Parts: sequence; structure tokens; C-alpha cells
Amino acid sequence: MNAARTLPLQAGAWLDRRWRQAATGFCFLVFGVVGLLFGVTVFPAACLSTRDPAVAKRRAQWIVSRWFSAFSRLMRFAGVISWEIHGAGKLRQRGQLIIANHPTLIDVVLLIGYIPQVDCIVKEALFRNPFTRFPITWAGYISNRSGSGAPPTQLVDDCAAALRAGNSLLIFPEGTRSVPGQPIHIPHGSARIALQAGVPVLPVTIQCEPIMLSKHVPWHRVPARPGHFRIVVGDPVDVSHYLREARSTAIAARRLSRDWTRYFELHRGGAAPIAPSGRAVTQ
Amino acid sequence: MSTPTKDEIFERVKTLLVELFEVDPAKVAPEAQLYDDLEVDSIDAIDLILQLKDYTGKKVRPEDFKHVRTVGDVVEAVQSLFAAP
Repeated sequence: MNAARTLPLQAGAWLDRRWRQAATGFCFLVFGVVGLLFGVTVFPAACLSTRDPAVAKRRAQWIVSRWFSAFSRLMRFAGVISWEIHGAGKLRQRGQLIIANHPTLIDVVLLIGYIPQVDCIVKEALFRNPFTRFPITWAGYISNRSGSGAPPTQLVDDCAAALRAGNSLLIFPEGTRSVPGQPIHIPHGSARIALQAGVPVLPVTIQCEPIMLSKHVPWHRVPARPGHFRIVVGDPVDVSHYLREARSTAIAARRLSRDWTRYFELHRGGAAPIAPSGRAVTQ
Repeated sequence: MSTPTKDEIFERVKTLLVELFEVDPAKVAPEAQLYDDLEVDSIDAIDLILQLKDYTGKKVRPEDFKHVRTVGDVVEAVQSLFAAP
């Protein structure tokens, strides 16, 4: 009797999952095709019609932002995800280092959808992927691996220079998606960028419940329900006192990375947002 | 100048790691991985190599430390620097 009663429910859940698998696959297909097509049409049209490389880059980043926003809504429309964002307006401020934790594959898509102009560090492989290489090249995103033979400081120098020039930069300081259930690990590179650039740091916490598109999990393994993203934009923080209080940049970068780790560990669990260690920037 | 022993070199490397990077001294052991266990990254390594140059008084090339992964590897690399003409 019990079985008979739960059968329609189970069938419904089964269908729901199959639907979201298909919808996720469809969305990714659209993502790839648009990336390729826009990359050889819209982006060149927008960028080659100006001689000023800065203008071209600004236009390309704006297109990426609009497209990512549309793609996020497509995923929501398909019933694959839902999201809420708090403090999105703070993302638009220029000349800040935006740091976020990195639970899922689409964090960057959701975030950039709210930021019309932002530089971004992307992994080297995406510069070789035909579906992503054109948009990210037009947008002037920075590769996580500087050319062979380049000194280890090259990436930090490039990012700090971009920030000092007044651009915003979005980084996932963990460098890669975190593994659910594992402690967050933050290498010191991003902290070095923050310290060297001397710009405010804007922390963003991303939670996805139930978790989907996480590291080591194939895209077609969808959770029981659509993943709901909760994105909380914190307040900008001045980190310059780390340099004053430590006797070297290496130590300041370690302390800052440790404090970021604590901040994200505290907030990704769903606690109320508080300012990370450091002084809030009053604007 | 007499060449320091392996233990002396280890103690020197340990002191440097603690002074330069605030590494927890309890974690510094010959088998400790520089990056995974002590969080000494490639940029930190530049500082460390500069200090080891002062320590050995030899010309140090980054290649000498290319295959260094553990604290024990550092000690060995320093040993061979001392042995070099």
C-alpha cells in the first residue's frame, strides 16, 4: 500500500531529475555555442570598431556581463537553479579586488552577470578551449599561468597593475573550486595582489544548497532539488594595516590569507555576515 | 671556513623558515612538503633562496632549487652548494 502511494511521487522525482539533467546539458550546450558564435561575430564587431584597446576591452566585458546575466536567467527559467543576492550594488564599484569562495562551476557566471566591468583571472585551459577562448581573450581576462620563463611574481604584478589602473578584479583566492566537506585552503597569491595594489577588498560569500556542479562531480549528476544560490556581498575592507603590522610582505600575505580563510569558513556555513578582520572602508 | 654539517644546515633552514614566513617550528621536519605542509609558495621561495645565497656565500641559481619539494631537499641542495667549488 505504501509503495503504491509513493510510486507517483517517486516517478515525479525521477522525471524532475531527468528534466534537470537534460536542461543542464542544454544550457551548457547553449553556453558553448554562444561563446563560439559571439566570439567570432559580436565581440569582433564591438571591439574592432574602435582603435582604443581600453574601449574595446570595456565593451567586451560589458557583453560578457550581459550574456552571463542572460545565461543565469536561462538556467533559472529551465528550473536548474535559483538564486538570491544581497548587496549586489557594491559589486559595481570600480577599482576594488573582489574575492569570493568557489563552491560551483557557475559562480563566476552569476557574479559577472552583476558586474558590467571587471577583470578576472581564468585558468589557462579556457584560453585553449574553442568555446571560451574568444570571449575571454576579447575581455582581456588574465591567465592564471604567465608565460613560461616568466618570474613567479609576474601574475601578482599584472593583477596589481590592473587594479591600480582603476579596474576591478574578481578572484577566487582558493584558485579552484573547493571540495564540499573539506576545509577551505587559500594560497597567498591573492593576498599578495591585494597588498601590492593597495585597493579595498570586497568579500563575497557564495552558498549553494543543495550543492551542485561542485568539484569532482560531473555536471549530469543533479541534486534532488534545483540548487539555490545565496550570494552575500560583504563590505569593502582596507587591508593596508597588514603590511604595517608585519615585517615582510610574505608574512602579511600569510596573515591576510589566514583571515580570509576564517571569514569564508565562517560564512559559507550560513552564519550572519560580519566584517572580515580589518577595517571597514567608509564611503 | 669549515663546511656545516647536515644538522647545522637543517637548523639554519628551519630558523629561516620561521623568521621569513612565520612557519610553525613544530611543523618543520625533513620530510615536510614546502608548499603543501608549510605553505611556502614560489614567490616565498625567492626570498628563501636569497637568504640561502647569503648563508652559503655561493652563487645560487634558481635551477639549483628546481626539484626541491621538501625541507630535506633544501638541506641537500644547500649541502651540494657548499660542496661546489
